This record gives sequence, C-alpha cells and structure tokens, in this order.
Amino acid sequence: MSFGSSSRTVQGVLLLIGLILGWSSMAGEPGPVIPKGKGEQCVAETDFMRRNHMDLIVHQRDDTVIRGIRDEPFSLVECVDCHVQLDEDNQAVRIDEEGQFCASCHAYVAVKIDCFGCHAAVPDPVVPDPVVPDVAQQDSVDGSHWLPNKQLLAFKQTLPTAVPPALSHHKNEADTVRSE
Amino acid sequence: MKPTPSDQNKAVSARRSFLQRLGLLGAATAVAPALLPAISRAKVTALKGVSDEQRWGLMIDTSKCATGCDACVRGCHDEHGISSTGNEHTDAQWIRKIDLQDNLTGQESSLPMMCQHCDSAPCVDVCPTGASFKRADGVVLVNKHTCIGCRYCMMACPYKARSFIHEPVTDQKSLAPRGQGTVESCTLCVHRIDADDDLQPACAVSCTEEGHSAILFGDLNDSESDISIAIAKHDAQQVRSDLNLNTGVRYAKL
Amino acid sequence: MIDQARYETLAPRAFSYPLVLIACVLLAGVGAYCALTMEHAGHSITGMNNHVVWGLPHVFAVSLIVAASGALNGATMASVFGLAHYKPVARLSIALAMSLLVGGLLVLVLDLGRPDRLIIAMTTYNFRSVFAWNIFLYNGFLIIGAWYLWMMMERRFNQYVPLAGRVALAWRIILTTGTGCIFGFLVGRNALDSALLAPMFIALSLVMGTAVLSLAIIALNRWTAAILNEQLIDSLSRLLVWFVLALVYFSVVHHVTNLYVAEHHEIERFTLVGRFSGVFWIAHIIIGAVLPIGILVYKSISISMHIRLIIGSVLSLMGGAALLYVVIIGSQSTPQSLFPGKTVLSSSFGDADIPAYQASIWEWGLGIGGVAFALLLCLLLLRVLPLLPESLTATEPRQ
Repeated sequence: MSFGSSSRTVQGVLLLIGLILGWSSMAGEPGPVIPKGKGEQCVAETDFMRRNHMDLIVHQRDDTVIRGIRDEPFSLVECVDCHVQLDEDNQAVRIDEEGQFCASCHAYVAVKIDCFGCHAAVPDPVVPDPVVPDVAQQDSVDGSHWLPNKQLLAFKQTLPTAVPPALSHHKNEADTVRSE
Repeated sequence: MKPTPSDQNKAVSARRSFLQRLGLLGAATAVAPALLPAISRAKVTALKGVSDEQRWGLMIDTSKCATGCDACVRGCHDEHGISSTGNEHTDAQWIRKIDLQDNLTGQESSLPMMCQHCDSAPCVDVCPTGASFKRADGVVLVNKHTCIGCRYCMMACPYKARSFIHEPVTDQKSLAPRGQGTVESCTLCVHRIDADDDLQPACAVSCTEEGHSAILFGDLNDSESDISIAIAKHDAQQVRSDLNLNTGVRYAKL
Repeated sequence: MIDQARYETLAPRAFSYPLVLIACVLLAGVGAYCALTMEHAGHSITGMNNHVVWGLPHVFAVSLIVAASGALNGATMASVFGLAHYKPVARLSIALAMSLLVGGLLVLVLDLGRPDRLIIAMTTYNFRSVFAWNIFLYNGFLIIGAWYLWMMMERRFNQYVPLAGRVALAWRIILTTGTGCIFGFLVGRNALDSALLAPMFIALSLVMGTAVLSLAIIALNRWTAAILNEQLIDSLSRLLVWFVLALVYFSVVHHVTNLYVAEHHEIERFTLVGRFSGVFWIAHIIIGAVLPIGILVYKSISISMHIRLIIGSVLSLMGGAALLYVVIIGSQSTPQSLFPGKTVLSSSFGDADIPAYQASIWEWGLGIGGVAFALLLCLLLLRVLPLLPESLTATEPRQ
C-alpha cells in the first residue's frame, strides 16, 4: 500500500466518522421544547399555527394598525396571554426569553423575532377595568391572574367551521417538535 | 393470508391518519395567507373597522385648563407606559403643558399641546415609507412596523408633537407597543376609542377626574356632537391656522 | 469623439499610499463600530434629541451627497462643455462622485433608528415624500454614473459619451434640487421654509464637489509623482471662486429676504447675531468664502497654484459644511413659534428655550467613517478599473 492511498483511506475513514457523528447528533437532537399554552387548543390547529402564525400576525397587524380592526382572533396580545409561563414567584417570564414559547422555536430555526422590541412580551398585570367585566376565571387554566381572552373565547365558538376538527396534539407534558 | 383484526385496526388507523393529514392540507391551503382576509372576515362576525363617517378630535377649553396641573400628561403616560429616563430632551413627549402670556394684555393661559391630528398632515406627506399615516377616521398615527426611524416627520411637524425613542424600551403595555428607533406621538388613544364607543382618550378622562373637564373628545363630522357644538359656540381656533392644516384638535379661548 | 488617451489603474509608488489606505480602513472601521453602538444603545448616547432630531451625521451625509453631485462636474466639463483639459479626469470624476454618494448614503442609513429595515425603505414608497423621491434620485445617480463611465471606457460606445454626460448633468441638478427640497419643503420650520434652499444647494454642491475633485487630483498626482496639467489646476481654481461666489450670493439673498419677514426675525437673530453667528460668520463667510477667494484670486502671494488650490479647497469644504451645520442644526435649535403674540412662560418641552446641541463622539465617528469609506471605495475603483490617464500617472497629457 502506497503512502498516498493510505492517506486517502484515512481521509475516507475520518469523513465516514464525521458523517456518522453528525448524523447521530442530528438524529438525537430533540428539537425545541415548547411550553404548553393555556386552554384546550390554540385559535387554529397546532400544525397550521406552526407554519402560518407569522402570516396571521402580520395580516392582523395591518388590519389593526391601519383599519382599526381589533376584534379579530390572531392577535399577538392573545399569543402572549395564552403562551406565557410563570416562574417560581408566579411572575410572568418574557415570552422571547430563552426556552420560552416564542424563543425556543425561533432559536432552533435561527429566525430573529422582531415583535418584542416594541410589543409587550408579558401580559399586562390585571387592573380593575371599569368597563369590561373581568372574565379571567373562565379562560385561565390554573387561576392565573392575567387579562381575559373574551375575544378569543368568542372566536372559539365559531371555530368548528373555521378549521378542521381539532387534531389536538395538546398533551399534558411539554409539546416537543422532532427534527425529521 | 387473512388480515387479523389488529392489522385491520392498523390499516384503519393509518387511513384515518392519512385522511386527517389530507384534511389538514386542505385546511392549510384554504387558509393560505393570500386568502386570509376573506376567511377571517367570513368567520368572525363582529368586525368593526374605522370609517370616514367619523372624524375624531379634541377641543381644549384653555379657560378651564389649570396652570400647574399636568393630570392629562400623567394620564397619558400611565395609559401608554411612558416613563422618564431622566433626560427630558430625549424623553417621549406625546403631550406637554405650555403656559403662555399674551404680549399685549399680559393675560396668562395654560394648555396641553399634542399631535393636532391634521387633515393635511405634514408628517404624512414627508414620510418616505408611508409609515406616518392618517386613518380613515382622521387619527394620525405611526405604523411602527414600517417606520425606519428617519425622523423626517419630526422635522416636518409644526407642533413638535412627535418623539423619537432614543433607548431600548421594556415593560410596554400590551395595547401600547413602543420600541427603540421608531417615532411615536399621540394616538388619540385609538386602542380605547376602537374598543368601545364610550371610552375616551386617557388625557380627557384624567382632566375630567381632576375636575377641570378642559378636554372634550368627540366626532367632528357630527354637527350634533358635544364637541362640534362646543367648537361652534366658542369659535375654537387651530394652532398655526396660517398653515391651513385643518387640525383635529381645536383650542377655545386661546 | 474618440478618446486618444490611454488609461490605467492606480499603481502607486509613493509610501503614503498604503498609509492612506490603512487610515481609511481604520476610520471606516471606527465608523462601523460607532454605528453599531448607536444602534444597540439607541440615539440617547448621541447629542441628538427630540428637538435636534438631525445632527452631525446628517451634516456629514448631506455634505457627501452634495459633494458627490458636484464632483461629477469634472466629467460634465469634458463631455458636455467640451473642455479638453478636463477629459483626463473625467473618469476619476465619475468614480469619485459615485463613491461620495455611497459614503453619504451609508451615513444616512446607519443613522436611522432602524437601519435593519432598509429593505422597507427600498420597497415601500410614499410618493408624496421628497425623501422617497430622493431614494430614486440617488439610485438613479449611481446607475447613470455607471452607465456614463461604461460609455467612456468602452471605445465602441464613446459616441454616446456626450449624451450620457447631458443625462448625468440634468440628473445631478435634479438630485441636488431634491436634496435642497428635503429642507425647503418643511412648512413648519421658519428657518427652512424657502425654495431658495434648492438653488443654494446646487451652488453648494458645485463648491464642495469641485473642492473634493481638486484635492483628489492633486493627491493622486503626488502619489504617482507625475506632472499635473497646469491648465486644469488653473481652471479648477477659477471655477471654485465662481462657485463660492454663487453660494454666498444665495446665502445672502436667503437671509436678506428672511429679514423682511417678521415671523422669521427670531431665527435670523439666532443665526446672524445669536448662538449660530460664530458658525455662520466665521466658518461659513470668512473661512468658507473670503479666505478661499482671497487665496485663489490674489496671485501676488508667492505660493504655487497647487498649494493655493489645496488651501482654497480645504477652506471651502469647511465653509460648506459650516453652512450645512447652520441650515440643519441651526434650524432645529430655535423654538418653533406656535402662538404668535404670546410669550411662552414655561413648557415641559423646550417651547421657550432649546439647549445647545453637542455632537457626541459616536456621531463624529460615524460621519468621519462615512468619509473614509467613500475615499476607500474610490481608491478601490481606481485600483481595479483603468480610470486614470497616463497623463496623471506618468507623462504629459496626450492630445
């Protein structure tokens, strides 16, 4: 065996090892761990939301800012309301913080979130509202103290015709996306 | 070989799963971004957009406005989560109090100054991206999604009613998004007036709570509205009426 | 018109060339660092605030942009007015103009509150905005400049050079008018509300562009240790004098007409005898006009024409920048009069008095970085494209 061919063999072996290592590390990667939201299901099917949430938000953004339409369901405020997590002190954690609902996926796919430079990343603390009666208890799962989702609730009643029968992937444990 | 019940179940389950996915695909196609407006409009009943039937405005009665009182400013700042950074020249100034003295008579007066929600708004004309815009109901806003922070609108505004956000902002209110590098100004509390016809801008509410009732909010297009009647009665003026901007904020007894 | 001269890339033999190159890279790097810091920390670290919303970066940016328009004058002189002694520097003139424009736009963009949204500025237009027109004018200038240069460099297309030159001339007059109109259309600002700003900006562009072009020619001549076309130096000197006179003319007319308008009295007092009087009289009038004209006109002073042109150019550049400082920052430093006939007793937001603007180190860094980037870009163009005639690099110009 000449020196040149042995060198090539070594290169080949190294390449093979590298490929196996790379593949196994990719296969073993669990994907982002997404904390579960409140309630039974999102405003639309989970898979649909994963693919299209950005379009929904952008669309509603223009409707709201330019045309003043504020009673549509795809609102960023509602996203934060449902998906925000509480820390040990029962304080809301910014939804764009590492490991939180928005950040976990966005970090995984390396897409910068441009929402929370301006938008609140935690729900407003509840203040007594003289006009809108507090219906928070109907909506929150664990008696959390955030603002009501009355518009969302209203929308959910129209849902069965809006999206196909709920293929609810909501489990009690954290929802995990696997890289495929 | 005859399929076992278990195999049949598997097949049924696989078929069901396939159909489910097919349904999902169909749904995803149906609710594709291009079709979103149609879908969301059809399914959600109570949609209410702004229209040019109304033109929202304010009338400020300077004779009722108290020198030294800044309830409107505090009310606005509370509503929109604006806090001072310690530098008054870079702080947001959506609304400010000005005390005046007439050069001839020496008479003193006090008034709040904010975005005048001009019909022919110079800020709207100059904005290169169209982020500075006027809603159908006359409210002049900054669409912060398209604002690039060039500050040309601030150069153009005769009233210096706009502020540039000079540092990162955290702890925003849900309904009052504000962020570094964009321009902002009085929104006439659109999040309040859109949500409920009975809700008034925060400054007007604060002024009334303080017992002055110097700020009147209403529909300028409706000749029967309180504000239209008051403007007619007091012959309320535009600030810098020489510019002929047809402002949405009028001042009585200026 | 067939171009007989041969052109070559910049092949510097002088020791100072790499030094200038390194200095430009370093300064451009400093500019980039300053821009990043400003974007990260927000504009609160700069001297700009809600009164003076456009500061030193805009003075630099507008200086570079108007100088770009004026620097094209060298090419115009050759292709449109048929002055043969400008022909050797025509290519340099275009390359310099394009580089200066890119440098100026870079400063302008990096000063935005959201420079990351440049794509929005490039794709979403409000056609009522003078600013939006300017985006087209700037992009068009670069495209026309490139086309003009191509027509010059490709011998087959030399016949189109006069056409390209005329198009470029018209375009840069419109461009500078547009730049002037950015300021002239601001009805709410007493100091700026004048259509005179547009012709004044054209005069300013000719002053600054001619000055930059003169300095570039002399610098390149030094690097390549060649004999410069004396006729060109003489012509540039005379042009600079006329352009400075035109600028002073418009500046004087602007202020004198303002003095007749009662509502402009306060801003005129502010500019001519108040806070900005030093910048106006000393920097703009004396340093920017009286001294350069004196140096360029009075030949009894026994210094060479090169040195005269260098001093005259540097002084008129300083004077031009000073005028822009007065126009941009002075106009924002006076309170806007909202209530004629009334005195503001107190205000929570400077309706009575506005504190003096102090440019921060970040703004200086960004502005100087932009100038350095423009020079770097120009050197790069000269290095890779045959833009310099042998007359500038080696021998006497061929006729």
